[in-house]
Parts: sequence; C-alpha cells; structure tokens
Amino acid sequence: MAKIGLIFNGVWSHYALATAPKYRDLYRLLYIHDLDADAVRDLDALAIPFQSNQAVLTEKQVIIYDFLAAGKKVFLEGDSSTAWLDAQWEDRPVNNYWWVTDPTSPPVSATDYDHPVYQGLTPRQACWHTHGVYTRVPAAAEIIQTNAAGDVITWQTRQYGGTLLATTLDPLVEHGVQQITHLDHYVDRLTEWLSGVRPAPDRLTIDAAAYGVGARL
Amino acid sequence: MLQALLISNGLQGLEKYYVSSEQVQYTTCLITKDFDPDLRPYDLLVVPNGSDHVALLKIKDKVRDFLAAGRALVCCDGFFTAWVPGNQWVMDNARRTQDVRYAPGTDRHGLLAGLDLDQLNFSHGMSGWWACGYIEAAPGADVLLADTWQRPIVVLDEVSTPGRMLLTASGPLADVSRAGQPDSALVGLYRHFIHLLSTSTVPAHG
Repeated sequence: MAKIGLIFNGVWSHYALATAPKYRDLYRLLYIHDLDADAVRDLDALAIPFQSNQAVLTEKQVIIYDFLAAGKKVFLEGDSSTAWLDAQWEDRPVNNYWWVTDPTSPPVSATDYDHPVYQGLTPRQACWHTHGVYTRVPAAAEIIQTNAAGDVITWQTRQYGGTLLATTLDPLVEHGVQQITHLDHYVDRLTEWLSGVRPAPDRLTIDAAAYGVGARL
Repeated sequence: MLQALLISNGLQGLEKYYVSSEQVQYTTCLITKDFDPDLRPYDLLVVPNGSDHVALLKIKDKVRDFLAAGRALVCCDGFFTAWVPGNQWVMDNARRTQDVRYAPGTDRHGLLAGLDLDQLNFSHGMSGWWACGYIEAAPGADVLLADTWQRPIVVLDEVSTPGRMLLTASGPLADVSRAGQPDSALVGLYRHFIHLLSTSTVPAHG
C-alpha cells in the first residue's frame, strides 16, 4: 500500500517515477487539481517534485501544513514560492555539465552526511545539479547542504509539527527522466526516510504497459 | 499570421521560449481544474515540455476534432496518456544515453534542412540529453529523426488526421532555446514547421 503521496501536475517525469515497478507500490500519484485532505489522510509522507504548479500549491497549502501538523513528513524539491513557503528560493543557471568541464567544483560544497537521506552517499550521489538556491530559510532550520558561495541548497525544519525537508536538487524528476544513472542511491534513501520502506536495490525499470491506454491515473 | 494556443502548466519562464512574431501569434492557456479550452479560433496547438497530460487526455476528442478540421499540433513532451491521435510516446531506459545518436529519415518538407543534428546529439559533450524514450509512430507517418536503435524520436504525421502533427519524444522545441540561443537545431526544427504551416498551399493529405 502506498505510503508516499507524490503531488503531480500531469508531468511525465513524475509519472515515470511513480509508475516504475520499483516504486509504484510506495508512491501514489496525487493529481494536484484534485488534491484534498481526504487524498492524503492515510499517507505517511508527501513529496512535492520540481516542475510543480506553485500557484495551485499556494491555493492548497493548508493541506500541506495540516499534514505536517499531524507529525508527518514532507519533501520539497526544486523551486518554491514565498506565497506558501517561509523561505526565499532564487533561480540560478543550471550547471549540469560541471562533472565534464570542472569536476573539482560541484554545485554543492558541503553536505551533512549524518542526515538519514545522505548517510552512505558519495559526494557525487549527493549532488548532480541544482535548480537555484535558498537565500533565506526559517530561523530554526537545520542546514544540510550549501554551495561554495554559502547559499543553502538543502534544509530541514520541524517547526510545523512534522518534518519538512527542502532542497533545490531534483531527485524525483531526474530519476523519472533517467538521464542520470546513479539516482537510485539518493531516491532509495529518500524513499526509506519518507516511508520506512527501503526499495529493492535494483535499478529503476519502466513498465511500458503503463503508457498510452494503460496509463494509471 | 498563425494563431497558436500555447498550453501552460504554470511552470516558470514558458513565455521566454515562445515569442510571437510575424508568422505566429501566441495565446497562452493556463491549465486549471476546469481545463476545457476553445480551440476553434486557433490554427496551431502547442504543447510544450512540462505539460499536463492528464488535462490533455480530458480534451482528446476536442484535439481530434481540431486536427480533423485541418489544424496543426506540436507536442514536444512525453505524452504518456493516449490523447495524440495515432501516436504514443513511451518512456524507456533500457538503452544507454551515451549511445544515443539521431539519424535523419523521411523529410519531404525540408524540416531538417540546414540543421546541425550534433546539437541534438550532444550538449557539452554529453549525449542523450534532448529526448527520452521513443514514439510508437502511426503507420505511414514520417519519422524525421530516429535514434541509434531506429526508434522514432521526431514524427511528422500527416496521415492520421486531415491536420498536421509534429511530435517529439519529449525533446523540447521552441522559438528560443533554454540557453537563450535563437539559432540552435531545436529552434530551427520548430521554426521550419511554423514556416511550413504559414506558407503551405498543399493540404496535409497532398
């Protein structure tokens, strides 16, 4: 039974991840335009992927904060809006070729590897590229990753009851896209942290039957 | 001038990539819970990268009627739901991205003319960056580009409906690339299709 709700706005990368045999029993697609409190009641965690519709998230923010108030976990990746999150995300050019042109200068320079999601990851597994930075985070937030300029990449707070983990990495979208082949390491640890269940260690595969008339919506 | 309806999923920056010109005038349609656009005023429906294919499935009959009236569709995204007449995108990760190369196929309208396909093959020396998966193309549709394993990556379909469809296996097409380049191959391919629609005196079925 699914334990993680993946808030989904019809984007294919979200769909590819949540319908992959490796993850489909753990993630439930929650179409954002139909999202309500009933849809999340039996879940342990919510994941809000990059390429989400920030305007609709703003309209439905009470669902997210009520979920946190119930002591549950929320993972947020990529961009965000101050209209619903007490933190300032700012866009930056995406450098997804640093490992070719300058492998000694990754987009993240410091990581707290004591965090359960990051335990056991190599630096390369803990950062592939970033989508912007946080220039302001809540006062009590724990900083988990920063870049060389000191900007925040990943942070966490418990001030809303449960745990909110936010990052400008995009593990869920990129794992769905499958152009980076090492993301099973990050996403499996994230999935275990969110749900208590560690996926099988195999590489993500695609079920072609889930595409077209067999789409699972 | 073509009138184009640009579908927006509320993602930032979309308007930067689609710029009205002497050939095409864009009107943006934001997807909402009650998404049900009137397509009748438009010549072209543009479904860009990052679109909502749950919402598009809800209007699949309207899209079919639109194409039946001889209009045109660009979908440069992973259309995982069955809303595009005759064609279906399927995700696949069984092949290594480092082995991906695109080869030209049937191009009766010159949509690939003058394009440097290595710009689609490589980005900063990395291959497999542009498209993902492949298209199960309609029988008789033109496969403009196929990948290393001869799977359709760009399809021009003038046979499934009386209209024209330019489809990519999620590879973005736009008036301006994300790197701000106005002259890259993905821009050239898109503009050639716009030019074909703007100037064509030959109906899709010839």
